[in-house]
Amino acid sequence: MSLIYSLKKNRQGVSHAIYDYLGEIRPFAKRVKNPLLKIPMVFLKTVEWCIYRWYKTPIRRFYGVKGNELIYMITNACNDRCPKCGIWEKPEPQSQHLMISHFISCLKKLHHNLYQVTLTGGEPLLFKKDVMLIAEEAKKLDVPMVIVSNARFLDEEFLNRYKALGHILVISVDSVEREKWNEFRGRKNFDIVMPKIMLAKEILGDQLRIQSVLSKESAEEIPKVIEWCKQQGIQHNTQLYQDFGAYNWHNPTTNEEVKYNNDTPCAARKNICVYPNGDVVKCFDHRRIPLAKEPLGNIAKQDIIEILSTKRSTQISKIMKTCDFPCKNMSCNKPQTLLFN
Amino acid sequence: MSSLIIPCYIKTKWDINCLDRLLDSVQQQSQPFDKVYLIDDASPLQYSVRHNFIEYIQLNENGGPARARNIGIDKAINTGAEYLLFTDHDCILDKEWNKHMNSFLITTAFGAVGGMTYSWGKTLLDYYHDINGTLSGKWLLPDRKELWYMPSLNFGIKSFVVEQFGFDERFPTAAGEDVDLCLRMRSKYKIGFCPEAKLWHDYGYKNSISGFNKFMKLFKKYKSSSATVYEGHTVLMWDASESIYKGNIHEPNIQS
Repeated sequence: MSLIYSLKKNRQGVSHAIYDYLGEIRPFAKRVKNPLLKIPMVFLKTVEWCIYRWYKTPIRRFYGVKGNELIYMITNACNDRCPKCGIWEKPEPQSQHLMISHFISCLKKLHHNLYQVTLTGGEPLLFKKDVMLIAEEAKKLDVPMVIVSNARFLDEEFLNRYKALGHILVISVDSVEREKWNEFRGRKNFDIVMPKIMLAKEILGDQLRIQSVLSKESAEEIPKVIEWCKQQGIQHNTQLYQDFGAYNWHNPTTNEEVKYNNDTPCAARKNICVYPNGDVVKCFDHRRIPLAKEPLGNIAKQDIIEILSTKRSTQISKIMKTCDFPCKNMSCNKPQTLLFN
Repeated sequence: MSSLIIPCYIKTKWDINCLDRLLDSVQQQSQPFDKVYLIDDASPLQYSVRHNFIEYIQLNENGGPARARNIGIDKAINTGAEYLLFTDHDCILDKEWNKHMNSFLITTAFGAVGGMTYSWGKTLLDYYHDINGTLSGKWLLPDRKELWYMPSLNFGIKSFVVEQFGFDERFPTAAGEDVDLCLRMRSKYKIGFCPEAKLWHDYGYKNSISGFNKFMKLFKKYKSSSATVYEGHTVLMWDASESIYKGNIHEPNIQS
């Protein structure tokens, strides 16, 4: 193995290669006491360095691509009552809600290798104060953040602060027609939320995205949403409906058999998912895999690195690498650049 | 109670001689092992072992050293071993090796231990490995109070630790599986260094010129394993580290 590895964040390119080479060679040359052997030893060290640097280097490592996405389901509670989603039926008791400091510690511990932290729910903005704390910390740590929200609790102050932090807001929209909207959401709030989406567009600009869930009920509506987004100049993504192992979501409304693409990159290696109580899993659809049914650990009680280093965590990653469940179609399984258009 | 686990894959006559030489050094230990497991990983070459103190386990199909070691680990733990030591067939143990490794594990809180590895051969390439610390493990910087990683050829671990963090059998060859184990177990336990526990590793270089190709192949093999390391870890703790050589084994900061 190489002589010295120094953690230098975001150092890339030729200057990095030179820095890396000299960082290896200088301390090594000092170890060679016999001056006659300096040149042959440095030559051999150079051979070793070249092999470690160039030979079969995983492409994402070679370009310093950050590997993990931290996904925090901040709450199960929601202010909408979408019939196809059952998550709002089981809000976590206040006593079981994770203290925000635990999540912030977890974020700090992982940030070197995070390409994104995502807040989802339930409705994350029910915990607006905590969301803003995480957003500010993510900014300090230089980790891009995404919130997936129904937009009901958006306001000007929040949006302005969020804009300044440079993070992305994704709003779930399955219809742009009042009646369908109210039916899909289980609440008559079209006239309240639509102006908030327009306000978000005005303030956030290209930091705003729209996402729709493609199910039987929304199949006819989504083309209209896509068209509306085009008119508004907002990037859009369609997410296939999932029932999360029939645990949370209870209304199987997929229109037709979905074909899973084996080539789709799997989230097993990269995703770190945290439940509202701090339980850690590798994927929110973990209940489909018997070994992964129980959480790997809890960040309120254990260090996140310890949780991810257990034998079971490795075994689950191995299973998930080749598993072929419906969650393969989730956006967390796809390269970010392909998501919104 | 300590057990020694030796995985082996015998391809040539040279491998048989190495194994014989290792078992001689095992026999000459000042403090004998309670059990010695030799796990043959479906070697292509037939051979016999003249040392009758070993428990010989023949695997039907080749699964790599990680799998072979895990089989040895299960056997050892089932017979009550508290300390499990590992070496390879191309090593030669110092006669005090078991004594020092065992005593270190008994008297310290470290979950695992590594010893000092020297090259057996006398070529320039062997000399390179000695000063490079190719197979001597790495200090965790900046304190050098514990190890970042220790190769499995000179390694000892407590049974309750290895029960939680076994070798990952996805590694098909003797490369990367020890890095992987150390990275995972360091999330909970520390790896100590015992410079008195010496062994010699035979890289098999006949001379510096003809051995160069073997030298290249060795590092290519180690590097090839890095994709599996990345694949298996959601998070990698690439802390700053420094390889161990004769000049830095007795660091003033070492924790005993």
